[in-house]
Amino acid sequence: MSKFQGLDTYRRRDTYELLPFKFDRLEDDDYLITNMTGEHLVVPMPELHDLLAKKLAQDNPLYASLRAKHFIRYADEQAPLDLLALKLRTRLARLTGFTSLHIFVVTLRCDHSCPYCQVSRRMDGESSFDMTPDMANKALDFVFRSPNPAIKIEFQGGEPLLNFEMVRYVVETAKQRNLKERRDLEFVIATTLSLLTDEVLAFCHKHDVILSTSLDGPADLHNANRPRVGRDSFERFETGLSKARNVLGVDKVSALMTTTDKSLPRVREIIDEYVRLGFNGIFLRALSPYGFAMKTRRFMTYDTERWLEFYKEGLAYILELNKAGIPFVEHYASLILKKMLTSNDPGYVDLMNPAGTGIAAIVFNYDGSVYASDESRMLAEMGDQSFRLGNILTDSYKDIILSDALLDALEQSFTLSAPMCADCAFEPYCGAEPVFHHAMFKDVVGRKAESSFCRRNISIFKHLIGLMQSDASTRRLFIQWANSC
Amino acid sequence: MAGLAEVTFDCKLYGAEAVQKAAYRGMNAFTLDLKVEGDGIVCRLVGNITTEQEAFERAVEDFRKDVLDYQLRAQLQAETAPIRNLIMGLAFSNLRLD
Repeated sequence: MSKFQGLDTYRRRDTYELLPFKFDRLEDDDYLITNMTGEHLVVPMPELHDLLAKKLAQDNPLYASLRAKHFIRYADEQAPLDLLALKLRTRLARLTGFTSLHIFVVTLRCDHSCPYCQVSRRMDGESSFDMTPDMANKALDFVFRSPNPAIKIEFQGGEPLLNFEMVRYVVETAKQRNLKERRDLEFVIATTLSLLTDEVLAFCHKHDVILSTSLDGPADLHNANRPRVGRDSFERFETGLSKARNVLGVDKVSALMTTTDKSLPRVREIIDEYVRLGFNGIFLRALSPYGFAMKTRRFMTYDTERWLEFYKEGLAYILELNKAGIPFVEHYASLILKKMLTSNDPGYVDLMNPAGTGIAAIVFNYDGSVYASDESRMLAEMGDQSFRLGNILTDSYKDIILSDALLDALEQSFTLSAPMCADCAFEPYCGAEPVFHHAMFKDVVGRKAESSFCRRNISIFKHLIGLMQSDASTRRLFIQWANSC
Repeated sequence: MAGLAEVTFDCKLYGAEAVQKAAYRGMNAFTLDLKVEGDGIVCRLVGNITTEQEAFERAVEDFRKDVLDYQLRAQLQAETAPIRNLIMGLAFSNLRLD
């Protein structure tokens, strides 16, 4: 007689109970189910109905996964509750750190005149659009009031290198103050590289400053998107990139792209250009409804569906490259996959709930105004001051952080209570985005059924899940992507 | 011409909130006139001017499915609300929030 009891001995005789989860239809009557921490499964409709009616048999192939991912438990089991609580706390841990990213708009001047520019740049002779040392000092007071142990200071413009003296001043002053504060300080300059000099590079090297630059694709596309005197934006970029990598190292220079109507038929060429120039990924971004992109109506030159075609074509091509042995990621997908496949939140402001505006990132404008996000100051440049939280010269930290403009936006846009979002199975992966919805609907919640933010993101979420469901090798690649950012 | 459809749900099986949520979800394709007649929740769906007939018919089909989904979601939420609160308590009760 065997010393071991048969499997049937361990079979539960009582009925499982349901743990909190949400569900949404995918294609062909399959449903996505997600729990409180974003763990997910794809379940056919009959099984979903059996699950909800507590009729799902223990020998159903889904049964073990449902228990493992905390969708069901037995009444005497405490571990699923403890694990869900732990994962939830991990996912929201970033909130206790409060604001990390502090954006200094050191000038609005720019040497480019991009028609889709989202910050309404000024001509490069107008020094009245520069941040002053007084404002910078007050902004640094604010920065060090944040309880976050990791502080990132990012310089934006216009073109920040047109006011490099202010960049230098902020970096040196912040480092001096940090001798006492002992935070983990990081500096980033968002620059086209067109005005990069040896002096700037030596400074960046000395102070460990990272460069975040822009690359829209092959030379003709980049130059068409980014006109400047001399029509040499791309040539300056490529020269600057090479010099910067030599001095700072390859990993100290990243690039972002903007998708215009000219980009739409050329996604493979754009990706090829990134690969040729040695980048390990690309962020395929849609145009935002702010600044010159609105004034020049560039924002309206393509719709969400066309952008999604572009995105999906690009993603398919990147997967082809991966399968051919070329390591390369699409950064937006990586951020989402991190939310789908791990318990961590990457802290990407657009995909945060509560919204990241103000509490994950904050902006000090060249004129002393403080904005809840980069998009908020873009909106202000169009005359809408809804997300102006105060002025760094006259208002205190408390005035700004507890301003109605910020707290109302955070509270009202909270996705766990917003119409449609509250019931949406994709909610754990998505974000509140009050500024975008305000820009489109004059309301921080917006009508989600008509929201291009909602349509774009849900389409991407479904697409990523579909790709993982249909191909095990893609799923393995996506697990790598999720852990790469 | 805008599409028009009428759908009736049994009050004993469906809540008005489920119907309202489904209508909200479909507002990019139609608007809804809602009334209760006897035991029925009567939904009169009027296609938006910009919604073509084929898209409207798809939206009506989705609306029927969405009503059932929202009804099931309501039942699931009601059943799991106590345990959701318990998990939230476990997650955050020991945090120092000062």
